Amino acid sequence: MNLDKVISGFFFILAMTINFGFFYGDIDNPELHSVYELFVALVVSLISTVLKIGDKTQLGAVLLATSLVADIQLIAAVTVWTVTEYLSIVDVEAFAAIISLSGGALLANITSVILYIGETLKSKR
Amino acid sequence: MNNNALWIILQKLRTPLLVIIVTYAIAILGMVLIPGMDDKGNVYHLSFFDAFYFVSYMASTIGFGESPYAFTYQQKLWVSICIYITVVGWFYGLGALVSAVTDKTLKFEVMRNRFRKKVQAIEDDFVIVLGYTHVNAEIIKKLHMANMEVVLIDNDEEKINFFMLEETKQDVPFMVADALLTETLQDAGILRSNCKGIIALFENEEHNFRISILTKFLNPNVKVVAKSTYDDISKSILDTDIAKVINPFEVFAKRVDVALRSPNTLVVENWIYGNSDLSEEPLYLPEGKYLICGYGRFGKALQSKFNKYGIEHVFIDAKRLAHHSMIEEGIFVRANPDDKDILLDVGIKDSAALIVGTKNDIDNLSIVITAKKLNPDIYIIARENTMQEVSVFQAADIDWLFVIEQIYINKASMSIANPLKHRFLKLILTQKESWIKLLINLLKNQVDVNPLLKRLDIKEESTYALYHELLNGAEIEIETLLRSLKNREVNNPALPLLLYRDGEEILLPSNINLQIGDQILFACTKESLEEIELIASNIYELYYAKYGEEKIHPFFKRFLSY
Repeated sequence: MNLDKVISGFFFILAMTINFGFFYGDIDNPELHSVYELFVALVVSLISTVLKIGDKTQLGAVLLATSLVADIQLIAAVTVWTVTEYLSIVDVEAFAAIISLSGGALLANITSVILYIGETLKSKR
Repeated sequence: MNNNALWIILQKLRTPLLVIIVTYAIAILGMVLIPGMDDKGNVYHLSFFDAFYFVSYMASTIGFGESPYAFTYQQKLWVSICIYITVVGWFYGLGALVSAVTDKTLKFEVMRNRFRKKVQAIEDDFVIVLGYTHVNAEIIKKLHMANMEVVLIDNDEEKINFFMLEETKQDVPFMVADALLTETLQDAGILRSNCKGIIALFENEEHNFRISILTKFLNPNVKVVAKSTYDDISKSILDTDIAKVINPFEVFAKRVDVALRSPNTLVVENWIYGNSDLSEEPLYLPEGKYLICGYGRFGKALQSKFNKYGIEHVFIDAKRLAHHSMIEEGIFVRANPDDKDILLDVGIKDSAALIVGTKNDIDNLSIVITAKKLNPDIYIIARENTMQEVSVFQAADIDWLFVIEQIYINKASMSIANPLKHRFLKLILTQKESWIKLLINLLKNQVDVNPLLKRLDIKEESTYALYHELLNGAEIEIETLLRSLKNREVNNPALPLLLYRDGEEILLPSNINLQIGDQILFACTKESLEEIELIASNIYELYYAKYGEEKIHPFFKRFLSY
């Protein structure tokens, strides 16, 4: 068993699950989406991105790319939330944008996890 | 290809980035969770944005103050913990970034990328020079004068730094790397078709041999110029014909041979190398007994020549051994040549010449001084190994100075930059004294005391008019090029020395019809060179030189014929 693999696998999957936790719920109901969850989702996503750096293989490059996509979507969601809140224009449209952005990030995270599982299954050891 | 450098940075920054992310996350989360108080005394929780804003300027030690409201003691407690974890994390990250950027591997990768790009951008012919030494610096200058580009490799960074301070005529891509690796040679562009040569003059001759073999397999069209003075390596190089070997001792022995046989040849040789003009007095070696100090590679190379001409000679060497019979015959004395008594013993008083050829310059000078005291009239030939003591050697009043480094410079640069001159020189060395005398007179009378040597290739770029005339099947004699444009009956002061055509060499060509692809070496003056080039490239001038009348444009011809 490789401790490195455990840690990176843990973060890849955690990024996906927390992302899902934030995304799950009515898209237009702010009460069903915790800001703390979004914060943790962003932090874990950033950590998993850093963990993917340094693998120069083809698969490593794709993993890094999916992770970067998730980061950008989550950062966009956070920015939208911050801007609309401080300008006091939180409406249904803005909130729907935040949730759908995190939904996009979720897709990227799912792709990343599928690739990661595929690589693990392919590995002979 | 710049990816490599980026990957190195990213990989080195993994841990610092993780540390920064985690410490920020902890600090921000804490700031959000701990209740604060606004200016009216109400409980106030910092939003994520407030917390992010505060932590950002706290961690980077900018410190704008407590915001949006003054902190409570609970908050201050948390902040004082956060300061230590985030600031340390931040500085660790910065430190790692700086060390990654100054990293040696990274610097090497960056330099290598730049080098590769520069080499790929070279469009003219270029030569790879291995190692930056005094000799190679001179070779680079000579190659630049012949309009060839140079690529330099040295595995000593200090030498490369030294080179960067030098001023060169053209930009020279350089790299600090081990030239003995195939990869380095490939980076230096050895696989490219415009790579014309590689110069390997390493002190360690195994290196030169290795470079020759590598080059042979990588790109057989590249000409290798390698230093080789030991017989076994030279032989294996020559046998496989993978490189042009420079052995300065052989070169000098050959010159002694030529000087004994036909002294005027050396005058022509010196003129070809650009060291002096044709009015120089030929060097006549004295007849009589020769003393030679040093029986190493140098002495052995000379021995065969002395035997060939039956010249009486004695070798003196303190370290090396000679064959038993040589000692018995008295042509080898095992002693220190820098000893007055020894020199007297071997008969310096009645010797004609002394050849000082040890590998130590100071020893050589010392022997010269001793010998001059004992026999002021003796003819002295001295070997100078490096060019650093050149002024001292000049002051020593030596009759014939033989500078090893100069031979490397002349040979290496000429065989790559001026192959035609090199061919001519080789042909000259085998000619008889009478022929050489004739040539010198011819040059002096017809051209100049110090004629220029210029090469003319018959191809479209350099000789437009000639090329097209020949393409149309015209017959043009080589003499046509020599006609004066002021008066066709008179020849310009110029002399074609060599015509090279598909491996065939014609010395002093005359009454020969030119062909496309011919390479001609001219001895000429500045003015006559201009006219030769004009005739070769301008259709009207060529017509005049050939027929003695002005060529009329076909358009006007029609008018005139009415």
